[in-house]
Amino acid sequence: MSVDPDTAREALAALCAVADDPDAYVVRWKERTGGRAIGVFPMNFPSEIAAAGGALPVVIQENREPDSLGRNLLAEFYCGYTRNLADQAAKGTLDIYDAFFQADHCTQLLGAVDVVRAEVPDAPVFFGQLPTSMSDSWAGERALATMRSFVEEMGRFAGTPVTAAALADAIAVHNENRRLLREVYAARRAGNAALSSPEMQVLVKSSMVMDTREHTALLREVVAGLAARPRDDRVRLYLSGHLSHAPRPELLAAIEECGAIVVDDDLFTGGRHISTDVPEDGDPVAALADWYLRRDAVAPCPTLVKHETDWEERLVEAVDASGAEGVVVLMVRFCEPHMLYYPELRKRLNERDIPHLLIETEHEGLPVETVQTRVEALLERIRRNAPLEAIR
Amino acid sequence: MTAPTSSDAADKLNRLAINKAGGRMVADYWEDVFLARERGQKVVWYNGSALNPIFQAAGMAWCHGEAFSARLAAQHLEGPAQLAGSEYGYVGELCSYARTHLGCAVLSQERSAGAGNGPGMVGLPEQQELASRLPTPDVFVNAYAGCSTGQQWDDISFRVFGKDVPIFNVSMPYLWSNRPGEGYMAGEEWEQSSRYVSDQLHELVPFLESITGQPFDWAAYRQNMAYIKQASELRQKAMKLCRHTPAPATFWDWIGNVAHINFLPANQQLVDFFAGVLAEVEQRVADGVAAVRDERYRVYFDGFMNWNHLGLLSRKFAAHDVAVVAGRYTHHAFWQEPQLLDPEAADPFLGQAQNNLLCPMNHATRTTTDLVLRDCDFYDVDGIVFHSTRTCRAFTNPQRLMAKAAQEKRGLATMFFEGDIADASFYKDEVLESRLAAVLEGIDVRRARG
Repeated sequence: MSVDPDTAREALAALCAVADDPDAYVVRWKERTGGRAIGVFPMNFPSEIAAAGGALPVVIQENREPDSLGRNLLAEFYCGYTRNLADQAAKGTLDIYDAFFQADHCTQLLGAVDVVRAEVPDAPVFFGQLPTSMSDSWAGERALATMRSFVEEMGRFAGTPVTAAALADAIAVHNENRRLLREVYAARRAGNAALSSPEMQVLVKSSMVMDTREHTALLREVVAGLAARPRDDRVRLYLSGHLSHAPRPELLAAIEECGAIVVDDDLFTGGRHISTDVPEDGDPVAALADWYLRRDAVAPCPTLVKHETDWEERLVEAVDASGAEGVVVLMVRFCEPHMLYYPELRKRLNERDIPHLLIETEHEGLPVETVQTRVEALLERIRRNAPLEAIR
Repeated sequence: MTAPTSSDAADKLNRLAINKAGGRMVADYWEDVFLARERGQKVVWYNGSALNPIFQAAGMAWCHGEAFSARLAAQHLEGPAQLAGSEYGYVGELCSYARTHLGCAVLSQERSAGAGNGPGMVGLPEQQELASRLPTPDVFVNAYAGCSTGQQWDDISFRVFGKDVPIFNVSMPYLWSNRPGEGYMAGEEWEQSSRYVSDQLHELVPFLESITGQPFDWAAYRQNMAYIKQASELRQKAMKLCRHTPAPATFWDWIGNVAHINFLPANQQLVDFFAGVLAEVEQRVADGVAAVRDERYRVYFDGFMNWNHLGLLSRKFAAHDVAVVAGRYTHHAFWQEPQLLDPEAADPFLGQAQNNLLCPMNHATRTTTDLVLRDCDFYDVDGIVFHSTRTCRAFTNPQRLMAKAAQEKRGLATMFFEGDIADASFYKDEVLESRLAAVLEGIDVRRARG
């Protein structure tokens, strides 16, 4: 099915508007539907559960405002996302949410969520700790028990139990959305350069915020209206990392402006988020637990411990599959899981002679010229096929 | 006002004498670890919770990663390990315990491979000698409460060693307390978490047996826990005597015997040591001997220890007539609830699991705040000093909210200073000096107003 290019452009513009201002969308949705919104902290709470309870699940995004009030609530050596969460809580912008869910055991995130708990006292903040040591024989049982606690809590919040049928429906709707996004990713890997890296981010970011059926409808229009554009001779890059929140679109644009094209990524607001579907047969709660356990196998995450799978192996496989000629590692400053794992990535990339560059990001400030100088140096190395080693 | 000098400070601090003798026990323990291979003992590297009574009963030599990093930092010998970690690729904002320990992993691998040429800087080869003396592990065991980095750190150690060393993870639930009635040692969350951790400790036993090739000695474990229970009770009793004015001992004294209660072998010598600590503190109370001469202020210390500057900090506070009488690090950890330990119980692991869960980093902010304010009331302090510990987010998490609560609910003076657990570069002496002077002036003004 194809649609008019103007329709596709309008659909993309609508998604851009949501990605640019998620709060405005949430407020409008609540006014329009009379429903309630759930603030979801990244990265592993299944939005399907909140949707099945009749609410709008929203993965809370970093906003663009400079931090001010929140700086009095969380130390300056926390990642930009958690500091900004504290700032949003202090400024009252999180008051649009009626409850919050968290599933991840991240020290910094817990600190920020505790600030939310203190600053948004009327909204329940439910924390269920999904297992982080994935190789343990009891991890599956623990994941299932935690998923059940989420479902029960959502039922309490909704005032009526979340049914298996509602969960199954939400799972199917979210799977459809993920599949469609993965199709766009696959097309990009295969050579279609129709969407820029910032536009790809818009597609995923808006999916984290919007009502999923609504998002899927717009996404279909975007996909159907895009004419395939062959990839040119720009250097093909793979973006890796940036857990829990999205890198600034300007950073993605700056990288591509240097003469590169991003052909794939494992960013949280990207390939990682849409990597894995939830099984649609059997008990839906068990399926969500299974999804959680398999998700780390599909896209290994440094916040979790799984001895059998390696992020670095998955990374070089993805680089090979996408034809990327180099990797830009985007590391959120102060992100400890990423800081711990980075040497393993570097070692493997060096072993494979894959040129790579580490760029640290912060909530405030983007030194575009510095970033571009470093990216240009990386691209120059790739073009010259110089001896390959990490550039830091 | 003239700032106190370091010579004034040295005169004003009256440390517990027994801790000096206790230092020998710690040194002997580490020498024992370094020679474990020669004795044919299996070596376990572990982080987080004190599982050492289990390792002791399994007949293993145990090395607590954080403790070794802290020891290096306290002796100003952390440089080579941190340099090795940096060269390997670890960013300087990463937990300095982890960075130092992973640097030791790199160095000890080099040593065992005979490739350690040293970093080529004057003075560093000797320092590197200690950092690389750590015997390489036969097994990793991780049981980290509160801090997510702790579990990831051991997973990375596992990878640094090429995934060739077996590893066991004990997962520790964070005590968030979703429901009314849940909190410190209370509610369904507490009961479930205690059983969950205890069950995992039971799974650990056959794993360790597979490493050592010997049956786990349950009788020895029960005996170990009996010693630890006694030692902890003595330590707790001694610490509580610091309620007296002037305080007979300070936070710095309790730092001085953290190693003993945290990881030294459980035996009669350990019990005797803490009996000696209690006796000395009791004698000081009876004689009216102060730990800080001219005690004028009493404060609580919140934050991880700054091991690089232990001596400097203790002298600095004393120089200002400040008795640091208690702290979250020393008082909310290290078998701090000995009544939960029941060596004769059907499940002797339950009390161990519960004490492990009660790590001071493993509670939501409101629980931590309640506990700290309880201590502040008990020790009758004028204020709280927060060590904003640069690379330890887990300990820093609740600090800003706690300071707010301490001011609003108790009217306590609060101050922050920046530093770190094992990276000296984050400490700024002038900042602490000026803030401390300001907060003490504030206390004076408040007193003058009645």
